[in-house]
Amino acid sequence: MATSAMRFIQVTLLAAVFVTLPAVTGFSEPAPSLPLAGGLPVIVRTGLRFEQIAAIDENDGSCTATVDLRLRWTDARLAYPKEDGSAFQSFKDAAAEARLAAMWTPKVELANTIGSPAFRATSLRIYPDGRVESMQRTSTKFTTTFDPQRFPFDQQKLAAEVTVRGEDQDRVALDYHQDDLVFSEANSSQDLDRWEVGLTNIRREPLPGLYGALHSRLWVELQIRRRFTMAMAPIFIPLFASLLIPLMAIYMNRVEDGEFQIEAFELSNIVIGGLFAVIALNFTVNSAYPMLGDADNTVTRLFGLNYLVLGVAAALIITLFRFNLVQRACGKYVQEQLYLSLVWAGPLLVLATAVALLLVAMA
Amino acid sequence: MNLIFRRSAPKILICIVVLVVVTLAFLSNRLFHNLTNAVEQNQFDLMRTIARSSLKAAEDRAMARTEMVGNLPSVRDLFARRDRERLLAECGPMFEIQKTKYGVDQMQFHLPTAVSFLRLHAPAQHGDDLSKFRPMVVAVNADRVARKGMVIARTGPAIFGVVPMVDLAGEHAGSLDVGMDFNPILDGLKATYQLELALFIAEEPLRRFATGLPGEVLTEENRRGKFIKFHSTHWALMKDLATEADVMNVADDGFTRKLRGITYGVLVLPLRDPAGEPLGLLAVAKDFSASRAASGRSLVWQSLLALFAIVVLAVAIIVVLRGFLLRPMQVITERFASLAGGDRSRPIEQPETLCQEMRDLAATYERLRISDEKER
Repeated sequence: MATSAMRFIQVTLLAAVFVTLPAVTGFSEPAPSLPLAGGLPVIVRTGLRFEQIAAIDENDGSCTATVDLRLRWTDARLAYPKEDGSAFQSFKDAAAEARLAAMWTPKVELANTIGSPAFRATSLRIYPDGRVESMQRTSTKFTTTFDPQRFPFDQQKLAAEVTVRGEDQDRVALDYHQDDLVFSEANSSQDLDRWEVGLTNIRREPLPGLYGALHSRLWVELQIRRRFTMAMAPIFIPLFASLLIPLMAIYMNRVEDGEFQIEAFELSNIVIGGLFAVIALNFTVNSAYPMLGDADNTVTRLFGLNYLVLGVAAALIITLFRFNLVQRACGKYVQEQLYLSLVWAGPLLVLATAVALLLVAMA
Repeated sequence: MNLIFRRSAPKILICIVVLVVVTLAFLSNRLFHNLTNAVEQNQFDLMRTIARSSLKAAEDRAMARTEMVGNLPSVRDLFARRDRERLLAECGPMFEIQKTKYGVDQMQFHLPTAVSFLRLHAPAQHGDDLSKFRPMVVAVNADRVARKGMVIARTGPAIFGVVPMVDLAGEHAGSLDVGMDFNPILDGLKATYQLELALFIAEEPLRRFATGLPGEVLTEENRRGKFIKFHSTHWALMKDLATEADVMNVADDGFTRKLRGITYGVLVLPLRDPAGEPLGLLAVAKDFSASRAASGRSLVWQSLLALFAIVVLAVAIIVVLRGFLLRPMQVITERFASLAGGDRSRPIEQPETLCQEMRDLAATYERLRISDEKER
C-alpha cells in the first residue's frame, strides 16, 4: 500500500515538473522554421503603397502616412485541399495575428518609422497551394531625407524602408515584380498641400549586418514634386525686393558737373536699413524653413547675393560718394561717367545674377 | 562723314565687345554641349552593351541547361523509349526548381519530326506539330546541331537553347529545348544597373504562335502600334518613354525625353529570332537628369559670365572714352566758346586731373584767357 502511494506521489511530482518547467524556464514551442521546399533564399514578394499622406514636414525630415505593406511568399507546408470552394483562407486582425504567430513569417519591418504607429491592421490569406499573402496597414511617421538644393523647383522622394530582420539575404530575400510596382502606385489625385504626387519606384539596397552579412532591404520611394508657386510669394518676392534697396541707395544720388549732390550719410542710412531688412528676412525664412538654412540652395544663394550687393553699395558710398576717391585719382569727369554707368550696369548685373540663380535651380 | 564721335565710338567699341564675347560664349557652350553629348552617347553605348550582353548570357544559360539535361543518361534512355510518364517523373521536380528560382520558363522534348513529346511546363499538352512556328527545332533535328536564340513559343516569347538528343546507342532520338523567361532577366538588369526596360513583341506572330498566352497580355492598353508590351520593369514610366511613335520609328542612336521634370535617355533595340526575322523591341531607359542638369547649369553660368564681361567692358569703354576724353573736351569747348563770346570769367577747374593731352589744351585755354584779360 505504501509502495503504491509512493509511486503515485512520484508520478504526480514528475507530471508537475513537466507542467511547470516550461513556465519556469521560458521554454516554448520552437519558432516555425523557414519554408525550404523551394530552396534558399525564400523569396518574399513585396509591395508597399502610400495609401494616404497626412503630412509632409520638411523641417522635421518626416512624413506622416498610412501605408499598405503586402508580402507574398510560398510555404508548401501550409497547402491544404481545396474543399469548400473558397479561393483562399482569410484571417483578419487578431485572428490574422494568431495565425501568423503559428506559422513561419518573414521578420519584415518598416525600418524608418518614428515612434509607435497610430494604427495597425493585419490581414492574411492562405491559398490552397501554399501561397501566403499578408497585408499590413500602418499609420505612422517616416523619416525622410529632403534635399533642398533645387528649392523651389525640387523633387523629393518619400521613402519607406522595408527590411528583413534576423535572416540574411541568402536565406530570406525581398523581391518585387511589375505587379508589385503596380500595387505600390500611389493615388496621384491625393490632395497634398504643396506637392504633386508622382510615380513610385522600388530600389534594392542590402543592409549590412553583423560579420559581413547582408540583410535584404527595399526602398519604396514615392516621387513628389513641389508646387513652386507656393514658395514664390512668401520667399522669393521679398528676396528680390530686398535686392532693390542697395540699388536704390546708389540710384538716389545725382551728379552735376561731376559733383555728387546727396550726402553720403543719407545714402548709407538706406543701406544700413536694407541690411537690417535682409537680416530680418533671413531670420524669418530660417525660422519657417530651417532646412533651407542648413544647405546650399537657391534661397541661401539669394541671401548671399543680397549681402554682397549691400556690401558693394556700402563700399561705393564710402569710396565714391564720401571720399571721392575716383575723382581724386582720375578727375571728376571719370567719376561722373563711372557713376552714370553704375546706375544702369548695377541693377542689370544684380538682377541677371538673381535670375541666373533661379534658372540654375530649374535646370 | 557725319559721325559724332561721342556717340558713335562707344557704340562701335561696345558692339565689337558684344560680338566677341557672345561668339566666345557660344563656342564655349557648344564645346560643353558636345562634351555632354559624348557622355550621353557613352551612356547609350553602355545601355546597348548591357542589354545585348545580358540577352546573350541568357542564351548561354539556356543552352548550358539544355546540354546538361539532354546528356543525362537516364533522360536520354527514357526519351528514347518514349516513356512520357517516367520522363516527367524524372525531370518534373528539377524543372519546378529551375522555374521557381532560376527563371526557366519552358522545357520541352520534341520528336525528330518536330512534334512535341513532353512539355514539362504543361505536361498535359503534347503531340502537336511545332514545325510551323518553331523553325529552330526543325533545323536542330535536321542537321543535329545545337542552336540558341529568342523565339515565340506557345506560352510566349523566351530565350531558348535547343540541342539534339541521342539514345544510349548514339542514335538521334529528337531534341530538347529550355526556354528562359525574359522577366527575371529584365528585372535583374533593373536591380543591377538602375535601367528601366520594356519588352515589346510583334503582335502578329505573338497571336499566331503564342496560343497559350494569358489573356491580360493581348490587351488594347498594352498595344503600341504593331507591338504588344510583354513585360516592363516599370510600365507607369515606360509607357510614356516608349510611345507608339517611338517603337514604330526605331532610332539607332537613342533619344532623350523629359518626363515629370526628369530627362531620360531611351534606347530601342530591335530583337530578332535566329533566322533574322524581326521578333520585337527592347526599350531601355536611364535617368540622364544629372548630365542634363549640368549642361543646363553650364549654359546659365556661361550666359551670366558673358553678360558680366560685356557690361564690365562696356562700362570701361564708356568711362575711359567719355571720362578721360570726351567730357573734358566738351567742357573745354564750352570754355573756348565762352571766351570767343567775350566771357573770360570761367577757368577750367582741376586741370591737373585731366589727361596730358587735355591738360595741354586746358593750359592753352588758360593762356588765352589770361593774356586777353591783361590786354584789356
